[in-house]
Amino acid sequence: MTVLEIRNVTKRFGSLVAVRDVSLSVPKGELRAIIGPNGAGKTTFFNLISGFFPPTAGSIAFDGRDITQLPAHRRVTLGMARTFQITEIFPELTVLENVRIGVEVASGYRLRPWISAAERARVHHRVEELLKLTGLTASSGRLVGELAHGHQRAAEIAMALALRPHLLLLDEPTAGMGDQETYEITQLIARLHREEKFTIVLIEHDMRVVFHLADRITVLDQGSLLAEGTPQEIAANEAVQAAYLGQAA
Amino acid sequence: MTQLLLFNITNGLIIGAFYVLMALGLSLILNLSNVINFAHGGFLVIGGYIAYTVTPYIGFWGALLVAPPLTAVIGLVVERVLIRPLYGRDPLYSLLLTFGLAFIIEDGTRFIWGAQGKPVTIPEFLAQPLSYELFFITGYRLFMVALVVIVVALLFVLLRYTRMGIRIRAGTLDLETVAALGINIRMLRSLNFAVGIFLAGLSGVLAAGQLGLEPTMGTGLLMPSFIAIIVGGVGSLTGTLLGGLLIGVASGMTAVFFPAASEAVMYVLMAVVLLVRPRGLLGEEGMMT
Amino acid sequence: MSAEQARRLVVLAAIWIVLLLAPFWMAPLGGYTALATRVLVLGLAAMSVNFLLGFTGVLSFGHAAYFGLGAYGAGLTLKYLALSTPLSLLLGMLLGGVAGAILGALIVRRRGVYFAMVTIAFGQVFYYIAFQWSSLTGGDDGLRGFSRQPLDLGFVRVDILSSANNFYYFVLVCFALAVAVMGFILRSPYGRTMIAIRENERRARFLGIPVERHIWIAFTLSCFFMGFAGALYALVNNFADPRGLHYSQSGDFVMMAVMGGMRNFWGPLLGAAVFVILQDYLSSVTINWMSFVGMLFVLVVLFFPRGLLGVVGGRGRA
Repeated sequence: MTVLEIRNVTKRFGSLVAVRDVSLSVPKGELRAIIGPNGAGKTTFFNLISGFFPPTAGSIAFDGRDITQLPAHRRVTLGMARTFQITEIFPELTVLENVRIGVEVASGYRLRPWISAAERARVHHRVEELLKLTGLTASSGRLVGELAHGHQRAAEIAMALALRPHLLLLDEPTAGMGDQETYEITQLIARLHREEKFTIVLIEHDMRVVFHLADRITVLDQGSLLAEGTPQEIAANEAVQAAYLGQAA
Repeated sequence: MTQLLLFNITNGLIIGAFYVLMALGLSLILNLSNVINFAHGGFLVIGGYIAYTVTPYIGFWGALLVAPPLTAVIGLVVERVLIRPLYGRDPLYSLLLTFGLAFIIEDGTRFIWGAQGKPVTIPEFLAQPLSYELFFITGYRLFMVALVVIVVALLFVLLRYTRMGIRIRAGTLDLETVAALGINIRMLRSLNFAVGIFLAGLSGVLAAGQLGLEPTMGTGLLMPSFIAIIVGGVGSLTGTLLGGLLIGVASGMTAVFFPAASEAVMYVLMAVVLLVRPRGLLGEEGMMT
Repeated sequence: MSAEQARRLVVLAAIWIVLLLAPFWMAPLGGYTALATRVLVLGLAAMSVNFLLGFTGVLSFGHAAYFGLGAYGAGLTLKYLALSTPLSLLLGMLLGGVAGAILGALIVRRRGVYFAMVTIAFGQVFYYIAFQWSSLTGGDDGLRGFSRQPLDLGFVRVDILSSANNFYYFVLVCFALAVAVMGFILRSPYGRTMIAIRENERRARFLGIPVERHIWIAFTLSCFFMGFAGALYALVNNFADPRGLHYSQSGDFVMMAVMGGMRNFWGPLLGAAVFVILQDYLSSVTINWMSFVGMLFVLVVLFFPRGLLGVVGGRGRA
């Protein structure tokens, strides 16, 4: 069962080609990492998947359904959730309030002027569940904007999980984090992948994280697909090494 | 009948030229600094009153030369002191500020020069109509349109070929990058504002010669300027130019058939544009959202 | 009950005590009941604007139009349709709300300053219509020839025309109803999506919230409240003023919200009180009161942008 099927997708901005003829196929339960040197088009590719803008050419299918022209919020309702490189949360609300909004929207209550006590209890229960999963129970009453970076990212992931996604898109989840926080987030993602069986696609720069988590790796370079394979295959791939070394030189 | 139509179209173009002058100044400030200058009409009035004050000494031509730059200087001071502190903040605050400023200017001019309308004398030869048949085209109106055409052309040349102009255009598209290139965007915004106010001041001098002077005249021209920008498309100066002419002509033509509705037609035009092409005629997708 | 909840209850009680006893403590302070009534109505209008501005984060600057529509709706109802105060309020509210719903659909595609510009321009359409259609609206002179009718409650008839106090309490009841509904909505799941949109529009969108649609709903709701406030205002003076539709009136409402504190539910009411009293006082002592009001705008924006309750209170939510 293929969760994400991307065929020959290209994105042009005027005369600039950010993504060129890239294809990708992610089966259910897989953790796919997208890596590549700076400027490889990874974030643009992500934006295409999540529906920030439509591709110039090519098609995107989600759970077997063509979503190429579907706007972002519709993709979310179909089961695609994403986090951002610069954490997008509600900074002046508490952790609990942040996650609660996600749960309420996912439960279909977004237009409700009123919910029953039973519904409220269900929402509360689910929020607690998510906080526990992401290790945020202790900070639930604190303003999310005041938390450490790693916890903010965890809160963002909790909000994404509230949507019961079929596909979790994580844009550089360990960006800007120190070793300890990186370790904690990596453990969280590993749990989500191995125990909760989420299908995950993530962009990462930190190779330790990538090799620890990924089932398969897709390498992009200057907008095109450079290589794809298991971590071992990619590690041994000379073209990939050249692309990265070329960067350093 | 044709003469009536011609009269109204020409009238419309003349009014349109006026709207264009105002709207362009407003548009410049809006595009670069994200500020809706509610006080724009106020600066028009200031320009007119400065012209009125200096005309007895240096005549109409002198006033025409002196009033707009002086108004621009006042604009510079205002920008530096009042508006600059608000740039990083929610656009709500600059809106409220220019709003309050408009009140201050209107009341201020009333205080200094009195509430009565003031006449501004224009040179005798300009006040004459061109000919008996074309009685509605006075020399003054022709002069006004010609001046607007020259000034607008100069503006576009400024924006296209001078360093400052290019920086302004770049800043409109991506201010962050312009700043990252080491360009002093604070000064850029100030200069841009000054240019906008110059245009307002010039409009004021011209309006004074045509309509006479009173403290409330600025507000009447503010709304058409808004509509010109919305119709023409936010972010596009050419659009504003087009929008201004369009609403001028539309209102001029409507005056033939339904005089009472000539102002309403501008709003109708705006509603139609928003329905059919929300970004405006020449507006760019994704601007100002 | 937690400390936070207890604190909120005390504040709420204090506010309502002050409002309930207004006719009694105003007189010794040199005020008069009609002033309190005006503050209530304009406060409601400011709170309606803040529904959009402070709680959804949407910059609508042309909201006075719907206020004015409510006023004319009420006045025209009383003048031509039926001598019923409740009906006039209902129709005034509907006029404002429905107009908002229709125009809102056109407007919400854009945001930021452009949105503000369009709301202003559209608001001016109604100002212009009120001016021009003088056969219906009385033009420049405004709509007159109607007055608030006594309330027939079945068991008693309450005269709200000649008794300022009676009318004040009637308005207070209306205010309470409107404010209760507003608070209710803000605490609902829908209300939380509004706040989410204000806090981070992109995140709201990527949670699956159709942002434009939710903003349209908030816009429409606030226009219904505005229409209601406008209808009440027409009853205050038995007069509907075209100037009430002008964007400068909108500016006043926004300023009241800002001055009182946009993030606080009751902020705009406080702002309205300060603004109305200040304006009243200024216009009685100087002819140039307009420039003082302008200076007030400038000073608040530059030095007190968080408003009175923004300085005092904490995060303040509904």
